[in-house]
Amino acid sequence: MIESLVKANLNLYAVLRNLPLLVKSDPVAAKTVAQWRIGIQFVVWRGPAATLVFEDGTCVFERGRHGNTEVVFGFITPAHFNRMMDGKGTPVPLKGFRHLGFMRNEFPKIADRLAFFLKPTDAKLADPHYLAVNTRLTLATAVFAARELALFDPTCRQVADRIRDGAVLLKILPDGPSAHLIFEGGEVTAGLGDVQRPMARIDFRDQATANAFLNGRLDPFTAIASGEVAIRGQTPMIDNLSLIFDRIPGYLG
Amino acid sequence: MATYRYSKSQELFRRAAGVIPGGIYGHFSPAPLVPPSAYPFYTARAEGSRFWDVDGNVFIDYMCAYGPMVMGYGAAHVEEAAAAQRRLGDSTTGAAPVMVELAELLVDIMPAADWAFFAKNGADVTNFAVMIARDATGRDKIVMIDGGYHGTAGWMQAPGHHGVSEEDQRHVVRIPWNDVPAFEAVLDQYPGDVAGFIATPYHIPTFADSQMPADGYWEKIQALCRRHNVVLIVDDIRHGFRLDMAGSSAYFGFTPDLTCLCKAMANGYPISALVGCEALKSTAARVFHTGSYWFQAVPMAAARANLVKMGEINAPQVMLTRGALLLDAMVNIARGYGYELKVTGVPSMPYVRITNDESLMLHQDWCAECTRRGAYFTPHHNWFISAAHTDADIQRTLEIVDEAFKAVRAKYGSAFQS
Repeated sequence: MIESLVKANLNLYAVLRNLPLLVKSDPVAAKTVAQWRIGIQFVVWRGPAATLVFEDGTCVFERGRHGNTEVVFGFITPAHFNRMMDGKGTPVPLKGFRHLGFMRNEFPKIADRLAFFLKPTDAKLADPHYLAVNTRLTLATAVFAARELALFDPTCRQVADRIRDGAVLLKILPDGPSAHLIFEGGEVTAGLGDVQRPMARIDFRDQATANAFLNGRLDPFTAIASGEVAIRGQTPMIDNLSLIFDRIPGYLG
Repeated sequence: MATYRYSKSQELFRRAAGVIPGGIYGHFSPAPLVPPSAYPFYTARAEGSRFWDVDGNVFIDYMCAYGPMVMGYGAAHVEEAAAAQRRLGDSTTGAAPVMVELAELLVDIMPAADWAFFAKNGADVTNFAVMIARDATGRDKIVMIDGGYHGTAGWMQAPGHHGVSEEDQRHVVRIPWNDVPAFEAVLDQYPGDVAGFIATPYHIPTFADSQMPADGYWEKIQALCRRHNVVLIVDDIRHGFRLDMAGSSAYFGFTPDLTCLCKAMANGYPISALVGCEALKSTAARVFHTGSYWFQAVPMAAARANLVKMGEINAPQVMLTRGALLLDAMVNIARGYGYELKVTGVPSMPYVRITNDESLMLHQDWCAECTRRGAYFTPHHNWFISAAHTDADIQRTLEIVDEAFKAVRAKYGSAFQS
């Protein structure tokens, strides 16, 4: 039960929330949504909720229910939502029946594009554009998923309790992208971009290194020792955070 | 002052990464060394207080093999005893007489020891101690200190670590250090089910200041253990014989039921020991615990010779005195550059940290600059001072420390200045 709820949180708050980043990063995705003007809410009964708004070629994601959107999709359980994310279930349209055609024919295009970029293969990663987008999305998924796990997965909560207050920055050198997690008083905030004066930081030598590391294709200990990945600062924060990162595939793998 | 390069270490590591998990695993992993490029990974040879890496760089060693080196690498009294025993036999069918002699020696020098049991590593005997506590009491729960380290078995690791199940943790209760009421609360919460209390003589978390026992702490813990028939286990693996030849419990004035010993016993030869009180001797005899090499005679001979010599020169006092000399001078040098160097723990195994930058990045840079110049300092772990560190070593170290502060000052300017 709790596992299903945590997975739903990850699917909504760490996977689906990547749509705005996808639209910014991928011209095909941007073109797909260019003419869309629609708001969609995803509401899981006794679970997570979020609002996606497509407008003027942009996509905005917000946690929770916001505004009077054209479409509201309900899910009777977290498992129901997870089945949809796995391509095996359909949502219950609570509102927006006249948009069912859009939801049936158009929305899957962007969802499929997201899935395309989140399921790397060696052949796909050989394409520099794919590598760049996959790296961005995987980095974002990692920090947003870590936040959910740190707060809601029973084991990860114990691990997170050992993480002192402060920010952990993950940055791909030389110029990003970057992401961060801020731990403060039992709360955890995840975000994209740099953060001032992190308490600990993980710097990836380059995009290819970051991609291999984040996709579990690089042994972290070897990568750190060889300098491909540099850790600095309050390394216990990183040690414990890595235990949380390592549990993401258990939910999303 | 020239700084070191490590091309051969790096090359060897690349080869290692192909055939060894993580390249170098466990506590020797370069991962906590920040940045790893400032540190040697492989040692070619060692002598006295120094070691030479595979690139030919020489270091005054303040990690002492993470504790085992206590009287100097290759110390003659140890090597001669080991060589003499090796000529007689090492791993043989049947235990060697030196096993009895070593046990008698430990019983003789340690008030808390009525018997001794030998193994190889610290975790061998912390595990054994817990098994004895459970068998002797018929109870399950083990109370340990949050952030304490007693080895890598499932029960010893913090929840969430790889390879650790919830079941492993089921009977482990963690409480904060120096928190007697927390121990009382556990005894109330699990009446008649606490088998043992295990802790180091003082608290030595990694990446954090060491914490000494508060006034009366051990006295109160001991009294509670006695009142509730809980076995009091001291993990003296790291501290043992660096505070007092009679054991660290003697230094702090209490008497444990079981004491786990290892690192400083044999100056680098592989041996650990569990010593205990008479009341637990028959339990120790019936709890089956053994290993293929636990009867090796050479490490026993090395340990015996080493402990005798350490007692003759009062090695803990030598280390405490030399450590204090070094650390006091370092603190003064740091202050001259506007940095506060905080020293916790005892001077023979200090945890040192620059407090100006809470993130530790400044401290990590300074440790790296020292190491690049030949004083091997790690930023995450307590250091070790041996009885082999000489006045010349200390003088040279202080020159390096000064240069390293100059280097970090040049890098950071007035940032972090106090």
